[in-house]
Amino acid sequence: MRNLRKWLTLSAIALFPIASGWAEQDTGKNPPTVQPLSSEEMKQAVTIDAITVPTPGEFFKAIDKGGKPNWASQFRPPTQIDGTSRAQMALNLGTLIADGYIAVEAQDGQQVKNIGRDVLTLAKKLSVSDSVIARGKSISQFAESGAWDQLNEELEATQNEVKKALEENRDTDLITLVSIGGWIRGTQVVTGLLVQTYSPEVAKLLRQPDLVGYLRAKLDQLPQRIRQDKLVVRVNGELQTMAKLVSFSPDHVPTAEEVKTLNQTAATLTKEISIGK
Amino acid sequence: MKYLLSSLGWLWLASAPLVAAESADDEVAMRSDVLGLAGAFQNDGFKIRDGVWYAKTSKDHPATVEVNLYSGNAYWFSAAGSKSATGLKITIYDNAGHPVSSEPYGSENKAASGFSPDASGLYYVRVSSADSQPTSFCLIYSYK
Repeated sequence: MRNLRKWLTLSAIALFPIASGWAEQDTGKNPPTVQPLSSEEMKQAVTIDAITVPTPGEFFKAIDKGGKPNWASQFRPPTQIDGTSRAQMALNLGTLIADGYIAVEAQDGQQVKNIGRDVLTLAKKLSVSDSVIARGKSISQFAESGAWDQLNEELEATQNEVKKALEENRDTDLITLVSIGGWIRGTQVVTGLLVQTYSPEVAKLLRQPDLVGYLRAKLDQLPQRIRQDKLVVRVNGELQTMAKLVSFSPDHVPTAEEVKTLNQTAATLTKEISIGK
Repeated sequence: MKYLLSSLGWLWLASAPLVAAESADDEVAMRSDVLGLAGAFQNDGFKIRDGVWYAKTSKDHPATVEVNLYSGNAYWFSAAGSKSATGLKITIYDNAGHPVSSEPYGSENKAASGFSPDASGLYYVRVSSADSQPTSFCLIYSYK
Protein backbone atom coordinates (compact mmCIF):
# COMPACT_ATOMS: atom_id res chain seq x y z
CA MET A 1 0.00 0.00 0.00
CA ARG A 2 2.85 2.35 0.96
CA ASN A 3 4.62 1.47 -2.28
CA LEU A 4 1.48 2.13 -4.27
CA ARG A 5 1.02 5.58 -2.64
CA LYS A 6 4.68 6.40 -3.32
CA TRP A 7 4.31 5.33 -6.98
CA LEU A 8 1.15 7.40 -7.43
CA THR A 9 2.87 10.48 -5.95
CA LEU A 10 5.87 10.05 -8.25
CA SER A 11 3.58 9.54 -11.25
CA ALA A 12 1.68 12.73 -10.42
CA ILE A 13 4.96 14.69 -10.17
CA ALA A 14 6.18 13.21 -13.46
CA LEU A 15 2.94 14.02 -15.26
CA PHE A 16 2.66 17.60 -13.97
CA PRO A 17 5.04 19.27 -16.47
CA ILE A 18 3.36 17.45 -19.38
CA ALA A 19 -0.10 18.55 -18.29
CA SER A 20 0.98 22.13 -17.63
CA GLY A 21 2.79 22.21 -20.99
CA TRP A 22 -0.40 21.26 -22.78
CA ALA A 23 -2.36 23.81 -20.78
CA GLU A 24 0.00 26.54 -22.01
CA GLN A 25 -0.38 25.45 -25.60
CA ASP A 26 -4.12 24.90 -25.52
CA THR A 27 -5.73 28.27 -25.93
CA GLY A 28 -9.28 26.96 -25.90
CA LYS A 29 -11.76 26.61 -28.73
CA ASN A 30 -11.73 29.05 -31.63
CA PRO A 31 -13.73 32.13 -30.63
CA PRO A 32 -17.04 32.52 -32.43
CA THR A 33 -15.94 36.05 -33.43
CA VAL A 34 -14.18 34.69 -36.53
CA GLN A 35 -15.86 36.10 -39.63
CA PRO A 36 -17.46 33.64 -42.06
CA LEU A 37 -15.88 33.20 -45.48
CA SER A 38 -17.45 35.26 -48.26
CA SER A 39 -18.65 33.45 -51.37
CA GLU A 40 -15.72 35.03 -53.21
CA GLU A 41 -13.26 33.63 -50.64
CA MET A 42 -14.82 30.18 -50.96
CA LYS A 43 -14.53 30.37 -54.75
CA GLN A 44 -10.85 31.32 -54.45
CA ALA A 45 -10.03 28.38 -52.15
CA VAL A 46 -7.49 26.10 -53.80
CA THR A 47 -7.83 22.38 -54.39
CA ILE A 48 -4.81 20.12 -54.10
CA ASP A 49 -5.33 16.48 -55.05
CA ALA A 50 -3.14 15.20 -52.18
CA ILE A 51 -5.08 17.26 -49.60
CA THR A 52 -8.57 17.75 -51.06
CA VAL A 53 -9.21 14.12 -52.05
CA PRO A 54 -9.31 11.79 -49.03
CA THR A 55 -7.59 8.43 -49.34
CA PRO A 56 -9.68 5.26 -49.32
CA GLY A 57 -7.89 4.49 -46.02
CA GLU A 58 -9.36 7.63 -44.47
CA PHE A 59 -12.84 6.63 -45.64
CA PHE A 60 -12.35 3.11 -44.27
CA LYS A 61 -11.09 4.44 -40.92
CA ALA A 62 -14.41 6.25 -40.46
CA ILE A 63 -16.26 2.99 -41.25
CA ASP A 64 -14.21 1.13 -38.64
CA LYS A 65 -15.81 3.30 -35.94
CA GLY A 66 -19.18 1.70 -36.66
CA GLY A 67 -18.06 -1.75 -35.51
CA LYS A 68 -15.86 -4.49 -36.91
CA PRO A 69 -16.65 -4.74 -40.63
CA ASN A 70 -15.87 -7.93 -42.50
CA TRP A 71 -13.27 -6.37 -44.79
CA ALA A 72 -12.20 -9.73 -46.23
CA SER A 73 -15.71 -10.14 -47.67
CA GLN A 74 -14.92 -7.23 -50.00
CA PHE A 75 -11.88 -8.84 -51.63
CA ARG A 76 -12.33 -9.46 -55.34
CA PRO A 77 -10.73 -12.07 -57.59
CA PRO A 78 -7.37 -11.02 -59.10
CA THR A 79 -8.08 -8.25 -61.55
CA GLN A 80 -6.93 -8.18 -65.17
CA ILE A 81 -3.85 -6.05 -65.62
CA ASP A 82 -3.62 -6.16 -69.41
CA GLY A 83 -4.60 -2.62 -70.26
CA THR A 84 -6.73 -1.70 -73.23
CA SER A 85 -5.72 1.98 -73.06
CA ARG A 86 -3.63 4.21 -70.80
CA ALA A 87 -6.82 5.77 -69.44
CA GLN A 88 -8.14 2.33 -68.51
CA MET A 89 -4.83 1.39 -66.87
CA ALA A 90 -4.85 4.60 -64.77
CA LEU A 91 -8.42 3.96 -63.60
CA ASN A 92 -7.55 0.34 -62.85
CA LEU A 93 -4.46 1.40 -60.90
CA GLY A 94 -6.71 3.55 -58.69
CA THR A 95 -9.00 0.61 -57.96
CA LEU A 96 -6.00 -1.62 -57.18
CA ILE A 97 -4.57 0.88 -54.70
CA ALA A 98 -7.99 0.94 -52.99
CA ASP A 99 -7.78 -2.88 -52.89
CA GLY A 100 -4.51 -2.47 -51.01
CA TYR A 101 -6.25 -0.44 -48.29
CA ILE A 102 -8.96 -3.13 -48.01
CA ALA A 103 -6.31 -5.82 -47.53
CA VAL A 104 -4.66 -3.67 -44.85
CA GLU A 105 -7.98 -3.22 -43.04
CA ALA A 106 -8.52 -6.99 -43.25
CA GLN A 107 -4.92 -7.42 -41.99
CA ASP A 108 -4.21 -9.97 -44.72
CA GLY A 109 -0.48 -9.84 -45.46
CA GLN A 110 -0.59 -12.21 -48.45
CA GLN A 111 -3.38 -10.22 -50.08
CA VAL A 112 -1.40 -6.98 -49.54
CA LYS A 113 1.64 -8.54 -51.22
CA ASN A 114 -0.42 -9.83 -54.18
CA ILE A 115 -1.98 -6.43 -54.71
CA GLY A 116 1.40 -4.71 -54.33
CA ARG A 117 2.73 -6.93 -57.12
CA ASP A 118 -0.23 -6.06 -59.39
CA VAL A 119 0.23 -2.34 -58.67
CA LEU A 120 3.86 -2.64 -59.69
CA THR A 121 3.03 -4.51 -62.91
CA LEU A 122 0.46 -1.92 -63.88
CA ALA A 123 2.80 0.92 -62.94
CA LYS A 124 5.41 -0.61 -65.28
CA LYS A 125 2.89 -0.55 -68.13
CA LEU A 126 2.34 3.15 -67.42
CA SER A 127 6.15 3.67 -67.38
CA VAL A 128 6.21 4.84 -63.77
CA SER A 129 7.75 1.73 -62.24
CA ASP A 130 11.18 3.08 -61.18
CA SER A 131 9.77 5.28 -58.46
CA VAL A 132 7.35 2.69 -57.13
CA ILE A 133 9.70 -0.31 -57.08
CA ALA A 134 11.18 0.81 -53.76
CA ARG A 135 7.68 1.34 -52.37
CA GLY A 136 6.67 -2.12 -53.58
CA LYS A 137 9.54 -3.65 -51.59
CA SER A 138 8.55 -1.72 -48.44
CA ILE A 139 4.93 -2.81 -48.83
CA SER A 140 6.07 -6.42 -49.01
CA GLN A 141 8.28 -6.07 -45.92
CA PHE A 142 5.59 -4.30 -43.90
CA ALA A 143 3.03 -6.92 -44.95
CA GLU A 144 5.33 -9.71 -43.76
CA SER A 145 5.83 -8.06 -40.38
CA GLY A 146 2.15 -7.07 -40.02
CA ALA A 147 2.96 -3.36 -39.71
CA TRP A 148 -0.57 -2.26 -40.67
CA ASP A 149 -0.26 1.44 -39.74
CA GLN A 150 2.93 1.80 -41.77
CA LEU A 151 1.24 -0.02 -44.66
CA ASN A 152 -1.53 2.57 -44.71
CA GLU A 153 1.05 5.33 -45.00
CA GLU A 154 3.08 3.39 -47.56
CA LEU A 155 0.02 2.89 -49.77
CA GLU A 156 -0.72 6.59 -49.81
CA ALA A 157 2.94 7.34 -50.47
CA THR A 158 2.85 4.84 -53.37
CA GLN A 159 -0.21 6.54 -54.83
CA ASN A 160 1.48 9.94 -54.54
CA GLU A 161 4.67 8.51 -56.06
CA VAL A 162 2.70 7.19 -59.03
CA LYS A 163 1.00 10.58 -59.49
CA LYS A 164 4.34 12.38 -59.23
CA ALA A 165 5.88 10.06 -61.82
CA LEU A 166 2.91 10.58 -64.15
CA GLU A 167 3.44 14.31 -63.76
CA GLU A 168 7.13 13.97 -64.58
CA ASN A 169 6.25 11.87 -67.64
CA ARG A 170 3.84 14.64 -68.70
CA ASP A 171 0.93 12.28 -68.13
CA THR A 172 -0.80 14.64 -65.69
CA ASP A 173 -4.17 13.88 -67.27
CA LEU A 174 -4.01 10.33 -65.98
CA ILE A 175 -3.63 11.50 -62.34
CA THR A 176 -7.33 12.39 -62.15
CA LEU A 177 -8.23 8.93 -63.42
CA VAL A 178 -6.18 7.23 -60.66
CA SER A 179 -8.11 9.24 -58.04
CA ILE A 180 -11.46 8.46 -59.68
CA GLY A 181 -10.69 4.72 -59.87
CA GLY A 182 -9.84 4.73 -56.16
CA TRP A 183 -13.01 6.57 -55.21
CA ILE A 184 -15.27 4.24 -57.24
CA ARG A 185 -13.74 1.09 -55.74
CA GLY A 186 -13.79 2.63 -52.23
CA THR A 187 -17.48 3.46 -52.62
CA GLN A 188 -18.21 -0.06 -53.86
CA VAL A 189 -16.54 -1.55 -50.78
CA VAL A 190 -18.25 0.71 -48.23
CA THR A 191 -21.68 0.21 -49.80
CA GLY A 192 -20.93 -3.53 -50.05
CA LEU A 193 -20.37 -3.66 -46.30
CA LEU A 194 -23.58 -1.69 -45.80
CA VAL A 195 -25.57 -4.06 -47.99
CA GLN A 196 -24.34 -6.89 -45.73
CA THR A 197 -25.07 -5.07 -42.48
CA TYR A 198 -27.00 -1.82 -42.78
CA SER A 199 -26.14 0.92 -40.30
CA PRO A 200 -27.63 4.44 -40.52
CA GLU A 201 -24.46 5.91 -38.97
CA VAL A 202 -22.23 4.40 -41.64
CA ALA A 203 -24.74 5.20 -44.41
CA LYS A 204 -24.44 8.90 -43.51
CA LEU A 205 -20.73 8.74 -44.38
CA LEU A 206 -21.66 8.29 -48.03
CA ARG A 207 -22.54 11.98 -48.26
CA GLN A 208 -19.78 13.45 -50.50
CA PRO A 209 -21.40 15.85 -52.97
CA ASP A 210 -18.43 18.19 -53.30
CA LEU A 211 -15.87 15.45 -53.67
CA VAL A 212 -17.71 13.88 -56.62
CA GLY A 213 -18.26 17.36 -58.04
CA TYR A 214 -14.52 18.01 -57.78
CA LEU A 215 -13.64 14.72 -59.50
CA ARG A 216 -16.18 15.31 -62.28
CA ALA A 217 -14.90 18.84 -62.84
CA LYS A 218 -11.36 17.44 -63.19
CA LEU A 219 -12.66 14.87 -65.64
CA ASP A 220 -14.26 17.61 -67.73
CA GLN A 221 -10.89 19.39 -67.90
CA LEU A 222 -9.16 16.39 -69.49
CA PRO A 223 -8.06 16.65 -73.14
CA GLN A 224 -10.68 15.58 -75.63
CA ARG A 225 -8.77 12.46 -76.71
CA ILE A 226 -9.03 11.10 -73.14
CA ARG A 227 -12.58 12.31 -72.58
CA GLN A 228 -13.57 10.45 -75.75
CA ASP A 229 -12.08 7.16 -74.55
CA LYS A 230 -15.02 4.73 -74.47
CA LEU A 231 -14.44 3.76 -70.85
CA VAL A 232 -13.92 7.37 -69.70
CA VAL A 233 -17.23 8.34 -71.37
CA ARG A 234 -18.91 5.52 -69.48
CA VAL A 235 -17.24 6.48 -66.16
CA ASN A 236 -18.23 10.12 -66.62
CA GLY A 237 -21.85 9.14 -67.22
CA GLU A 238 -22.03 6.81 -64.25
CA LEU A 239 -20.27 9.33 -61.99
CA GLN A 240 -23.23 11.59 -62.68
CA THR A 241 -25.56 8.87 -61.39
CA MET A 242 -23.34 8.26 -58.36
CA ALA A 243 -23.10 12.00 -57.70
CA LYS A 244 -26.90 12.16 -57.33
CA LEU A 245 -26.85 9.27 -54.87
CA VAL A 246 -24.17 10.81 -52.62
CA SER A 247 -25.54 14.37 -52.82
CA PHE A 248 -28.12 14.31 -50.06
CA SER A 249 -28.78 16.87 -47.33
CA PRO A 250 -26.84 16.49 -44.04
CA ASP A 251 -29.99 15.38 -42.18
CA HIS A 252 -30.91 12.65 -44.68
CA VAL A 253 -29.89 9.06 -44.01
CA PRO A 254 -29.63 6.94 -47.18
CA THR A 255 -32.01 3.98 -47.07
CA ALA A 256 -30.86 0.40 -47.54
CA GLU A 257 -32.39 0.52 -51.02
CA GLU A 258 -30.46 3.67 -51.96
CA VAL A 259 -27.24 2.10 -50.67
CA LYS A 260 -27.92 -0.99 -52.79
CA THR A 261 -28.40 1.10 -55.93
CA LEU A 262 -25.12 2.94 -55.28
CA ASN A 263 -23.36 -0.37 -54.66
CA GLN A 264 -24.62 -1.86 -57.92
CA THR A 265 -23.52 1.19 -59.91
CA ALA A 266 -20.05 1.21 -58.30
CA ALA A 267 -19.65 -2.57 -58.69
CA THR A 268 -20.59 -2.51 -62.39
CA LEU A 269 -18.21 0.36 -63.01
CA THR A 270 -15.33 -1.32 -61.13
CA LYS A 271 -15.83 -4.45 -63.22
CA GLU A 272 -15.87 -2.47 -66.46
CA ILE A 273 -12.70 -0.63 -65.41
CA SER A 274 -11.05 -3.96 -64.68
CA ILE A 275 -11.88 -5.57 -68.03
CA GLY A 276 -11.61 -2.31 -69.98
CA LYS A 277 -15.04 -2.55 -71.53
CA MET B 1 25.97 51.66 -68.96
CA LYS B 2 26.08 48.62 -71.19
CA TYR B 3 28.80 47.17 -68.97
CA LEU B 4 26.74 47.87 -65.84
CA LEU B 5 23.65 46.16 -67.30
CA SER B 6 25.71 43.21 -68.43
CA SER B 7 27.29 42.92 -64.95
CA LEU B 8 23.88 43.09 -63.30
CA GLY B 9 22.64 40.42 -65.69
CA TRP B 10 25.52 38.10 -64.79
CA LEU B 11 25.02 38.85 -61.10
CA TRP B 12 21.33 37.93 -61.42
CA LEU B 13 22.17 34.72 -63.28
CA ALA B 14 24.77 33.79 -60.69
CA SER B 15 22.44 34.44 -57.77
CA ALA B 16 19.44 32.59 -59.27
CA PRO B 17 20.56 29.09 -58.23
CA LEU B 18 21.31 30.39 -54.72
CA VAL B 19 17.81 31.80 -54.39
CA ALA B 20 16.31 28.55 -55.69
CA ALA B 21 18.47 26.51 -53.31
CA GLU B 22 17.43 28.66 -50.36
CA SER B 23 13.79 28.20 -51.30
CA ALA B 24 14.22 24.41 -51.48
CA ASP B 25 15.98 24.50 -48.09
CA ASP B 26 13.08 26.52 -46.70
CA GLU B 27 10.63 23.90 -47.93
CA VAL B 28 12.65 21.11 -46.33
CA ALA B 29 12.86 23.03 -43.03
CA MET B 30 9.12 23.80 -43.02
CA ARG B 31 8.27 20.19 -43.84
CA SER B 32 10.55 18.99 -41.06
CA ASP B 33 8.97 21.46 -38.60
CA VAL B 34 5.43 20.50 -39.53
CA LEU B 35 6.19 16.78 -39.28
CA GLY B 36 7.67 17.43 -35.84
CA LEU B 37 4.47 19.17 -34.80
CA ALA B 38 2.17 16.50 -36.24
CA GLY B 39 4.35 13.82 -34.64
CA ALA B 40 2.85 14.76 -31.28
CA PHE B 41 -0.59 13.80 -32.58
CA GLN B 42 0.81 10.65 -34.14
CA ASN B 43 1.67 9.49 -30.62
CA ASP B 44 -2.04 9.80 -29.92
CA GLY B 45 -2.96 7.45 -32.76
CA PHE B 46 -3.33 9.99 -35.57
CA LYS B 47 -2.08 8.96 -39.01
CA ILE B 48 -0.26 11.60 -41.02
CA ARG B 49 -1.33 11.92 -44.65
CA ASP B 50 1.47 11.91 -47.18
CA GLY B 51 0.15 14.95 -49.08
CA VAL B 52 1.49 18.45 -48.39
CA TRP B 53 0.41 21.93 -49.36
CA TYR B 54 3.02 24.66 -49.79
CA ALA B 55 1.65 28.19 -50.18
CA LYS B 56 2.09 31.77 -49.04
CA THR B 57 -0.04 33.68 -46.57
CA SER B 58 -0.12 37.18 -45.12
CA LYS B 59 -2.30 39.23 -42.81
CA ASP B 60 -4.45 40.52 -45.66
CA HIS B 61 -4.20 37.51 -47.94
CA PRO B 62 -4.78 34.30 -46.00
CA ALA B 63 -4.56 31.04 -47.93
CA THR B 64 -7.49 28.61 -48.04
CA VAL B 65 -7.70 24.99 -49.21
CA GLU B 66 -10.70 22.68 -49.66
CA VAL B 67 -10.78 19.38 -47.78
CA ASN B 68 -13.31 16.55 -47.68
CA LEU B 69 -13.73 15.10 -44.21
CA TYR B 70 -15.66 12.19 -42.70
CA SER B 71 -17.83 12.39 -39.62
CA GLY B 72 -16.60 9.94 -37.00
CA ASN B 73 -12.96 10.72 -37.79
CA ALA B 74 -10.92 13.23 -35.78
CA TYR B 75 -8.50 15.52 -37.63
CA TRP B 76 -5.50 17.71 -36.84
CA PHE B 77 -4.36 20.25 -39.43
CA SER B 78 -0.78 21.37 -38.84
CA ALA B 79 1.22 24.14 -40.50
CA ALA B 80 4.77 25.41 -40.16
CA GLY B 81 5.93 28.67 -41.66
CA SER B 82 9.37 29.95 -42.54
CA LYS B 83 11.57 30.75 -39.51
CA SER B 84 10.61 34.45 -39.63
CA ALA B 85 6.84 33.80 -39.74
CA THR B 86 4.79 35.00 -36.77
CA GLY B 87 1.22 34.56 -35.63
CA LEU B 88 0.45 31.62 -37.88
CA LYS B 89 -3.13 30.45 -37.34
CA ILE B 90 -5.40 27.75 -38.76
CA THR B 91 -9.17 28.24 -38.92
CA ILE B 92 -11.65 25.65 -40.20
CA TYR B 93 -14.96 26.52 -41.91
CA ASP B 94 -17.91 24.36 -42.94
CA ASN B 95 -19.18 24.11 -46.52
CA ALA B 96 -21.28 27.27 -46.05
CA GLY B 97 -18.20 29.21 -44.95
CA HIS B 98 -19.10 29.38 -41.24
CA PRO B 99 -16.23 28.91 -38.80
CA VAL B 100 -16.47 25.65 -36.86
CA SER B 101 -15.42 25.08 -33.29
CA SER B 102 -11.90 23.64 -33.27
CA GLU B 103 -9.03 23.09 -30.89
CA PRO B 104 -6.33 25.63 -31.79
CA TYR B 105 -2.62 25.48 -31.10
CA GLY B 106 -0.18 28.21 -31.99
CA SER B 107 3.47 28.80 -31.26
CA GLU B 108 5.58 31.33 -33.22
CA ASN B 109 5.88 29.94 -36.74
CA LYS B 110 3.76 26.84 -36.13
CA ALA B 111 0.02 26.31 -35.83
CA ALA B 112 -2.41 23.42 -35.57
CA SER B 113 -6.15 22.98 -35.31
CA GLY B 114 -8.01 19.88 -34.14
CA PHE B 115 -11.50 19.12 -35.37
CA SER B 116 -14.06 16.30 -35.33
CA PRO B 117 -16.78 16.92 -37.94
CA ASP B 118 -20.40 16.07 -37.14
CA ALA B 119 -21.23 15.79 -40.83
CA SER B 120 -19.18 14.35 -43.70
CA GLY B 121 -18.46 16.68 -46.57
CA LEU B 122 -16.58 19.75 -47.70
CA TYR B 123 -14.70 22.02 -45.28
CA TYR B 124 -12.31 24.93 -45.79
CA VAL B 125 -8.99 25.18 -43.99
CA ARG B 126 -7.52 28.66 -43.83
CA VAL B 127 -3.96 29.53 -42.85
CA SER B 128 -3.46 33.15 -41.81
CA SER B 129 -0.49 35.05 -40.49
CA ALA B 130 0.10 38.18 -38.43
CA ASP B 131 2.76 39.33 -40.94
CA SER B 132 1.81 41.92 -43.52
CA GLN B 133 4.52 40.51 -45.83
CA PRO B 134 3.71 37.18 -47.53
CA THR B 135 5.28 34.25 -45.71
CA SER B 136 5.61 30.66 -46.92
CA PHE B 137 4.15 27.72 -45.03
CA CYS B 138 3.67 23.97 -45.35
CA LEU B 139 0.42 22.30 -44.29
CA ILE B 140 -0.29 18.63 -43.64
CA TYR B 141 -3.09 16.84 -41.87
CA SER B 142 -3.54 13.76 -39.78
CA TYR B 143 -6.61 11.72 -38.90
CA LYS B 144 -7.81 8.91 -36.69
